[in-house]
Amino acid sequence: MTGEKQKHEILESALDFINSSHSSSRREFFLMTGGLIIAFSASGAKAAKEGPVIIMDQAEGLVIADPTKCVGCRRCELACTEFNDGKASPTIARIKISRNLNFGVNGIPTGQRGGGAWGNGLVIQDICNQCPHPVPCANACPNDAIVVRPPTNARVVDSKRCSGCKMCRRACPWEMMSFDSGTNKATKCFLCDGSPKCVEACPSGALTYAAWRDLTGKIPPRVAPTAIVAPEKAQTCNECHKK
Amino acid sequence: MERQEEVRANILNIIRDRSESGRLISAEEILTELKRRGLLTSEEIKPKTHLETALKQALQENRDVKEILAPNGVCYYYSVRRLSETYAGILVLKSENPLWLIAEVVRENSKRYPRPVPVAGFMESPFDLTLEAILECLRVMGEDKEYQDIAQTITSVGKTFLYSSRHLDPDYASMLAEWLDVGQADNP
Amino acid sequence: MAKHGGWAGKVLRVDLSTGKISTEDTLEKYRDYLGGTGIGYKVIWDEVQAGVKSFDPANKIVYGVGPLAGTGAPCNGRTAITTLWPTCWPKALVASGHMGGQFAAELKYAGYDAIIIEGRADRPVWLSVWDEKVEIKDARQLWGQGIRRTTIEINQQMGPEASVAAIGQAGENLAPMSVVMNSYSHSAGGVGGVMGSKNLKAIGVRGTGSVRIAGNKEEWEKLIKLHLSLLGANNQHVVPSNPQPWAEHYNAGSRWMASAGRRWGAANPSIDTGACEPHNLNRIAYRTNNAAYFLGDKAWQHTVRGNGCTACPIRCHTMLKVPAVSAKYGIPELGQNTCVGLLFGRAFFKSFPDGPKGQTAIEACMVGMYLADDLGVWDNYGQLQRDFQALYYNGIFKRKVAEKEFNSYSWNKYEQGDPTFLFELLPRIANKEGELATALGLGTGHLLERWGIPEQEWLENHDLLYWKLGHPKHHSNEDAGQCGVIINTQYNRDAQCHSHSNFTRNGLPIEVQKRLAAELWGSPDAVDAVAAFTPMNAHKAKMAKWSLLRKELHDCLSLCNWMGPWVASPLKEREYRGDDSIESLLYSLATGDKKSRQELDTIAERIFLLHRALTIRDMGAKDMRTKHDTIPDWVFTDPKDKAAFSKGTIRMDKEDIKLAMDMFYEEMAWDKETGSPTKATYRRLGLGTVADELAKRGLLP
Repeated sequence: MTGEKQKHEILESALDFINSSHSSSRREFFLMTGGLIIAFSASGAKAAKEGPVIIMDQAEGLVIADPTKCVGCRRCELACTEFNDGKASPTIARIKISRNLNFGVNGIPTGQRGGGAWGNGLVIQDICNQCPHPVPCANACPNDAIVVRPPTNARVVDSKRCSGCKMCRRACPWEMMSFDSGTNKATKCFLCDGSPKCVEACPSGALTYAAWRDLTGKIPPRVAPTAIVAPEKAQTCNECHKK
Repeated sequence: MERQEEVRANILNIIRDRSESGRLISAEEILTELKRRGLLTSEEIKPKTHLETALKQALQENRDVKEILAPNGVCYYYSVRRLSETYAGILVLKSENPLWLIAEVVRENSKRYPRPVPVAGFMESPFDLTLEAILECLRVMGEDKEYQDIAQTITSVGKTFLYSSRHLDPDYASMLAEWLDVGQADNP
Repeated sequence: MAKHGGWAGKVLRVDLSTGKISTEDTLEKYRDYLGGTGIGYKVIWDEVQAGVKSFDPANKIVYGVGPLAGTGAPCNGRTAITTLWPTCWPKALVASGHMGGQFAAELKYAGYDAIIIEGRADRPVWLSVWDEKVEIKDARQLWGQGIRRTTIEINQQMGPEASVAAIGQAGENLAPMSVVMNSYSHSAGGVGGVMGSKNLKAIGVRGTGSVRIAGNKEEWEKLIKLHLSLLGANNQHVVPSNPQPWAEHYNAGSRWMASAGRRWGAANPSIDTGACEPHNLNRIAYRTNNAAYFLGDKAWQHTVRGNGCTACPIRCHTMLKVPAVSAKYGIPELGQNTCVGLLFGRAFFKSFPDGPKGQTAIEACMVGMYLADDLGVWDNYGQLQRDFQALYYNGIFKRKVAEKEFNSYSWNKYEQGDPTFLFELLPRIANKEGELATALGLGTGHLLERWGIPEQEWLENHDLLYWKLGHPKHHSNEDAGQCGVIINTQYNRDAQCHSHSNFTRNGLPIEVQKRLAAELWGSPDAVDAVAAFTPMNAHKAKMAKWSLLRKELHDCLSLCNWMGPWVASPLKEREYRGDDSIESLLYSLATGDKKSRQELDTIAERIFLLHRALTIRDMGAKDMRTKHDTIPDWVFTDPKDKAAFSKGTIRMDKEDIKLAMDMFYEEMAWDKETGSPTKATYRRLGLGTVADELAKRGLLP
């Protein structure tokens, strides 16, 4: 959205240049790409709206999970990956149960005194909050590969742009970014375009697809984020927030 | 014509909604509900004939909607999409004639599955009979020759089952009761 | 990234004697055997000689899963464990146990279809399988600890998602009546001691990979939904236990217990299970409450939720919260298990002051689970407890056990139904303390021999439910007449086949069952109403064959035979029909190897035949009819001496059963006189080399 158009124009002309010069020398190449970086930075400094992609739109919906109904069957994880990716993979699943299944969110140190099947039975289902602005995973992505997809406005990984750097994984305080080592791409909950497969699959009705609301302040983070946000992206904050 | 179709559609919705919540509905109650939902004009709030015609046609056109006659002569309606004939049969009898209900359930089970029926089951939903009511029915049955076929058997853990001797002999009934109450759980 | 759909592609082989760790290509070596028990029997046939005993280093243990394990196919969480069985008496023969939980799926995600354990470690070890990184680790710190501590300590090393299959003290001490357990409450009986004999304390598996679905993902989604739509409750009971608005039928004995007003009382806040209309696939998990089924209505208020295996929506394990046990017995207020595992504690006692479904019975179950599932004691499908009652109340304990030891047990507590008695008994069995406990820990066959009790006494006793070879019956004539009897003759431990009993107990009226039976086995006469059995016919033999083959198929694919097959359904619009092709549809789409129902059943037959061949080889006998396929005398009796085939008895007739075995052997194309598979049959099923080997030993008919 913001900044897309100019960046694309720059990219396209650069690509034209590369494609047309069959024998562009190494020097020419570096000159050209160097120019790109400067051009991008320049465009960032000058007109933030035409710079990096910053998601502003709210998501329309959210998967809400009731841990008191979760029976630990993991069919949500399996539906998410089998029906979307053609393979069963709790590791890639975009709703995450397995890590809380046995010992709860606080894990092994709580032994049999915490949550999970070994503790009090509660299984917390970790879901993507579809964060409002500022969206940590999107902002951390150096390739602007996490975008908003209508009609749900879910925050979605555009796999064509994803370079597999995993910076998004470092950015999410809830560790909800998945990484598919088969395709070498990040992936995350995209709400299955409005009909979440996990919700449909749950045999105890523990999951609901509901109107979006901000849960980021309500669900405790799992980790402290360690992502590095590209300076040009960070600088765009000033466009709206500068005094 | 369209208006009548609309009335019929409303009637069907009401019947199906009521079935969805696990209950039957009489013609009287349909009329009340139509009024309550504001679906009838003032001229249409007339004697039952108008409703009866609409109901009859709705029944004819929709195979899922059934009519069932209660012992007190009242007709009830339901949709088999949401409420089974079995369940409708139980609902219609339980308040009007629990005696007949118990006998019918016992006879049907003894014939069809075949198996005896635990007495305690009649206290649970949807029968919801009290123990006193059940015992009273059993007492009456014991004295009425219409119900001579209704017999009892007690399992090894003291649970009473009823069966109809028209379809099950005592040994068979006793064996089946034991199997249902004790055997299946002992052979998990 | 997996090469194949379904299969992970590798079989892990670990030699504990040498420390050698290697892998094999699953499809190259075991394609014709699918997985699970298929791989198990193949390995035992090829690599373990006749005469090897259970605790010899030469014995092997094969933890096998199938191509469907780890997928979203409903009910796929089973691991089949094949080995020479310690409680099989008088001689160890091949058998398999099964455990549910998360182990099977995790093994697939780690990249393996099976683990073969060979040899014996020279000191306690545990096996760490972390994707492609496999290590034999020192378990000396874990040795002597219970299953619970062992599991947690391994999870500390491997992370909370790792699945740990561990033995307790019972297995360490080589008590044949011991289990391996994973995921808190999922055990495989009989295997604990074999692992103990190899000094293998546990296997921890962590898998971050995936299982590929070969077929089109939209088609797979449709198929999964079809399968889900056909599910009933536990044991594929397809009618509710009391009348529901949507239900045409109901059955007081059904495990479909959900109803408005029946709540998961210990959930916070409590949850009403409700009507569970069968088209609502988001309520499948509420249908079953096995604690309530076995322990009565009181169990509802103690129910936190259901639990169970990966991918299974049924949740046949019930998680119970009983606050009273904490103060009373010093045990955690939470416990979970199902069926025989749930009833472990209760089954010892003849009676309780407040009855079999009172509070004390529940407490006995909690104590039993707490002890047995940590010590890793097995109960041989309730035979341990039945034997215990008989041995006590018939004065045999008193006679066989020295006075001092006998008096060291609080028998008054036992007779009063005091659950604290279990604290005296179960640890002693696990630790082989004393003659009584040691004998019990051997299993029925060896116990009878040790104490000079003729097996005949057990074979005649109507209440002990003993069948043969040291094991009890498992769904026999009480469930399905001759079909059940045939099934129970075929294995080297209790049959563990539910194909037939799931059907006969599904709760549908007999006329509906007969209609379905006609479609499945050729005639409505294949099934009788329970206790109204009729003489043998060829269709019952067909049903027996189908039951056995499907059980074997499930054990190879990783499908739960306690749920399948799915030939009946709760759907009126299908006239309660299920789908006899579900297994082949799932297999074909998941693996990309298209097989029809008949083709897959043929593979199952091959695997079942290999089990038969192994039994013949290791018994050194070809006359299976008289030497192996035996039936206890009590099957031919009735407490009221009612005649066979009269209404109200499950008594079988000797001549009729002879005919039943004839017809079964014919159905299987085995030699009718001996019940031994013929060379032609072995060949037809691709087991020509097996036939040759048996021929060399003079074991072909």
